[in-house]
Amino acid sequence: MELVCPAGTPATLRAAVEAGADAVYCGFRDDTNARNFPGLNFSPAELAEGVRFAHGHGARVLVAINTFARVGEIDRWRQAVDTAVRCGADAVIAADLAVLDHMARAHPDVRLHLSVQAAAATPEAIAFYADAFGIHRVVLPRVLSVQEIAALNRAIEVETEVFVFGGLCVMTEGRCYLSSYATGKSPNLNGVCSPPEFVDYSESAQGTTARLGGFTIDRYAPGAPAGYPTLCKGLFKAGGQTSHLFEDPVSLNAGSMLAALKAAGVTAMKIEGRQRGKGYVGDVVRAFRRAVDAVEAGGEAIEIDRLLAAQSEGGRQTTGAYKKTWR
Amino acid sequence: MAAEIVEARLPGIVRLLPPLAFLPAGPLLTGALRALARRKPGIFDRLGEFSRERFFIDPTDLGFAFTIVPDGERSLVRVVGKEDGANAPVVVRGPILMLLGLLDGTMDGDALFFRRIVTISGRTEAVLALRNTIEDAELKPADLLGLTGALARIADSGILGGLDAARRILAVQPAASRQEP
Repeated sequence: MELVCPAGTPATLRAAVEAGADAVYCGFRDDTNARNFPGLNFSPAELAEGVRFAHGHGARVLVAINTFARVGEIDRWRQAVDTAVRCGADAVIAADLAVLDHMARAHPDVRLHLSVQAAAATPEAIAFYADAFGIHRVVLPRVLSVQEIAALNRAIEVETEVFVFGGLCVMTEGRCYLSSYATGKSPNLNGVCSPPEFVDYSESAQGTTARLGGFTIDRYAPGAPAGYPTLCKGLFKAGGQTSHLFEDPVSLNAGSMLAALKAAGVTAMKIEGRQRGKGYVGDVVRAFRRAVDAVEAGGEAIEIDRLLAAQSEGGRQTTGAYKKTWR
Repeated sequence: MAAEIVEARLPGIVRLLPPLAFLPAGPLLTGALRALARRKPGIFDRLGEFSRERFFIDPTDLGFAFTIVPDGERSLVRVVGKEDGANAPVVVRGPILMLLGLLDGTMDGDALFFRRIVTISGRTEAVLALRNTIEDAELKPADLLGLTGALARIADSGILGGLDAARRILAVQPAASRQEP
């Protein structure tokens, strides 16, 4: 099993590699990648240096160029791909058809991973991308159970990569318009879900109110764990009841399911969080390194839930769709 | 391991110290930031447009606050009163030992925020840019003091060790054990 870890900055890349990442993923400092947050990401020179550092430590670098190219600007995305390859990237992660096509034609020798943004979760969709562009791996949306992933792996001929820890996107990525609805900007086109320029936290004696684009997403009592105001994790009133209508503000932690995911044929375990700091990344990668090694040695994953609880949004964790229970 | 987040606060009596006594900290920190910008100009690039933003940093266990404009060689740090935060475009609040932990990378900013040990208000995007810039800069006390070589190692070891010891001594409550409402 390969441990794929986030790197939002060069310092975080080094932290992830030193903590035991098999591969790190990162993006350029613009809207060609789906984590286009202020102060985050890499210049071409930083990427080249990061690749040298990673390769020197036996790790690989995967470059996410996974937003959807805009009409009239497709060359920017193609240039980002060319730059990533020139910097020595071991793989490019893409979702847009034009970007995938450019990779397949211009850089057939470089590994191509289908981004979760492509929302490919069926054998037919994945086979299309494999046949048309020669993808080597698909990153699966976080909406499948372990049983569904196992069935999918039996029906496809490319590697699969799944998220095992971090922010839980409960929607089918690439097709979610909640952020666009509230702010006019989305991860699909602008590289940011719930962009920070639309986020507002206001403090009062009653606690903290978190707003996105003027919409109140949640209120936190003094001392209660807070979260980032993404619409899908907001507290809404519907049908006379107030609840986290789409999803509780929890983080994904599938650490206890590594053995099951391995048995389901998954090649790579991905940690979410390019927007998180190097302290977080170092802690999470170290914990998962131990867990993955334990599973690879034939044992059970170590108990990492408690170790990583404080790193979770809202201070709470879930196994997400991997272990589906109906309510 | 950062999972064991423990909030540390200075004793209440420290808040009673007159802010005037700390006024020299403004010019000293301004000089340190500008000198840092001369030595490592790339550090401030990551801030982009937010380098000209005025950040109101409010150590909640001190009787005063800072405003910081992290604009490279034009950086400016001032010691100000708490009341100045009312109109500040960006506000970051938290115990001083925890804020210093963010500066040197000992503390994870998101974890502190999720646990409400550090709070922010105003332009969230500016806070993110600042956080990411500080994260990547991997600043050590010696960087701000302009020290190099053996002297830098001694300063870093002494100051960071002292801060770590202070956090342990002044720990007030394990944040992870707080009750949710």
